Amino acid sequence: MVNHKPLRRLPGLFLLAGSIILVSLFWSNISRAAEPEQQTEEYCLSCHSNPDLQMTLPGGDVLPLFIDSDKLQSSVHSPNGIECEACHTDITTYPHPTINYQTRRELSRVYYEACQKCHPGNYSRAQDSMHAKVAEAGNLDAPVCTDCHGSHYIQPPDEPRTLIPSTCGNCHSTEFTTYQSSVHGNALEQEANPDVPVCTTCHGVHNIQDPRTQQFRITEPDLCASCHANQEMMAKYGLSGDVYNLYNLSWHGVDVSVYEARWPTIQHNSAVCADCHGTHDILKPEDPKSSVNPTNLLTTCQKCHQGVSQKWTGAWTGHYKVSLQRTPFLFYVDTFYSIFTPIILWVCGIYVALQFIRFMADRVRRSL
Amino acid sequence: MTTQRRSTPASPHNDVKIVRTFPRFTVSQRWEHGLLLLSIAVLLFTGLPQKFKTTAWSQTLISTPERLETIQQIHHIAALVLTALVLYHLGKAIYLIARRKLPGEILFSMQDIKDAWNMLLYLVFIKKQKPAFGKYNFEQKVTYWFLFFSIGIMITSGYVMWFPEVVTRIIPGGIIPAAIMAHSTEAIVTFIFIVLWHFYHVHIERLNLSIFSGWLNEDDMRAYHSNEYNRLMRRPRPDQEPGDLKS
Repeated sequence: MVNHKPLRRLPGLFLLAGSIILVSLFWSNISRAAEPEQQTEEYCLSCHSNPDLQMTLPGGDVLPLFIDSDKLQSSVHSPNGIECEACHTDITTYPHPTINYQTRRELSRVYYEACQKCHPGNYSRAQDSMHAKVAEAGNLDAPVCTDCHGSHYIQPPDEPRTLIPSTCGNCHSTEFTTYQSSVHGNALEQEANPDVPVCTTCHGVHNIQDPRTQQFRITEPDLCASCHANQEMMAKYGLSGDVYNLYNLSWHGVDVSVYEARWPTIQHNSAVCADCHGTHDILKPEDPKSSVNPTNLLTTCQKCHQGVSQKWTGAWTGHYKVSLQRTPFLFYVDTFYSIFTPIILWVCGIYVALQFIRFMADRVRRSL
Repeated sequence: MTTQRRSTPASPHNDVKIVRTFPRFTVSQRWEHGLLLLSIAVLLFTGLPQKFKTTAWSQTLISTPERLETIQQIHHIAALVLTALVLYHLGKAIYLIARRKLPGEILFSMQDIKDAWNMLLYLVFIKKQKPAFGKYNFEQKVTYWFLFFSIGIMITSGYVMWFPEVVTRIIPGGIIPAAIMAHSTEAIVTFIFIVLWHFYHVHIERLNLSIFSGWLNEDDMRAYHSNEYNRLMRRPRPDQEPGDLKS
């Protein structure tokens, strides 16, 4: 019975310890409310939530230092616990170390390096991009991470999808305007179409390459084919999914496939999709402004085949299968040879075989 | 018909054996065949790698774009030789027609259909004897006329492909893809025909080199062209032979 005594006292002990901890917690909270711990967002915002906070850099640029707390809270980083000091690694306390950057651009070009800590893949891909090469060549306006994604108020870059072309359009404004009026851009903006390509679909995301190279040109049909050879997707829009296969059988297509397989770096001008259809300005062939509309086709052909006559356009079978209505000449030739070739093969083969058998039979008979 | 004296090395007493030979082709015809053979072979060997340029074996041959260009140039030169040959052949035919001297031996007649039928009956063991043939049997006429039209198609479609810009000033553009298809398919058909039909008849059935030598010996004449043999033996007067086939 003696053993029961300490167990009886146990709940009382717990109650006492609990109340001591609780009270001490309250105590400490009150003491910290006046002075939040340094290196936290809250501590930084105690100064940086002031809308008038700004400084002038040695180069003359005015650097606003205001941070909108609401927008910061709705960004992708802050609610996930990635706070100021994750990127501003050089600032640990107040007063801050002096800023040595002459201009705001110089500051951005150094600060974006912080992204690679958490996003090493995309960071190194971006280092291989056209943008990084241009920067190396001396153009400091070439974009870094923060130019496209933002800095403090980063949101998912593709929500909504229309955000992508407008982000690129900040610099590439001509291409953006052209794209908006194209069949792809129009469907994106008017119908929020989820299938049409945006800039990044064709150009890539972080490792964007120069689209003017021969390598880009020679693989361009494959790029278009990633959607236009997708039967399911094309059927949704009443388009033919055979255009790529039929192109590959055409004079241009065979030529391009040989160069792609053998000599991808050698300059060659056999037409790829974009040469006739355009790039950012692609329109439906039915559109009278389309470069492949029958009214404009001759001009488009003449880009390469100088001085050809109107009849020349009839040589292009237009991604259609052989048919009597559309390509009568080809239809008749195709029909003729699909009958003639096997006939010749069989008649010659059988006749010669019969002759050989008779010849051998005669020989055997004579020798008997 | 000529007779040649030939000493047989086997006979020690310098005995003379008389071998009768029959003229079959003129020097001009022999040259024509030689050039035809050469140009078609070159056209085939330079054409096939172009037709099949997406395949691995073709890409081994055409290792650089410059090489492709060279192959095309050789193809074009051979095409010009063939064209010149065809023009010469047709020109000669027109000249002979104008002078009423064109031999009609190569033209098809009802007799050829009968011959073909009888030959078929012989081949399926219904008839015991092969039909008797004239100077050209129906097989040889088929060879000539098949290649005549085949070369016609190849030359026409070939020039359409060579000068498409010029051609489409006059003819609708639809002719170009049709020419591309006709050129490459006809080439294969012709190739099959030559290998199966022509090579069998001149190499396997018997070795017939008369197109190179110009003459045929008496045995072959009797065995394969008995009607012609009998005709020549009945009226052995060379000056009455038609055409320019002078012995």
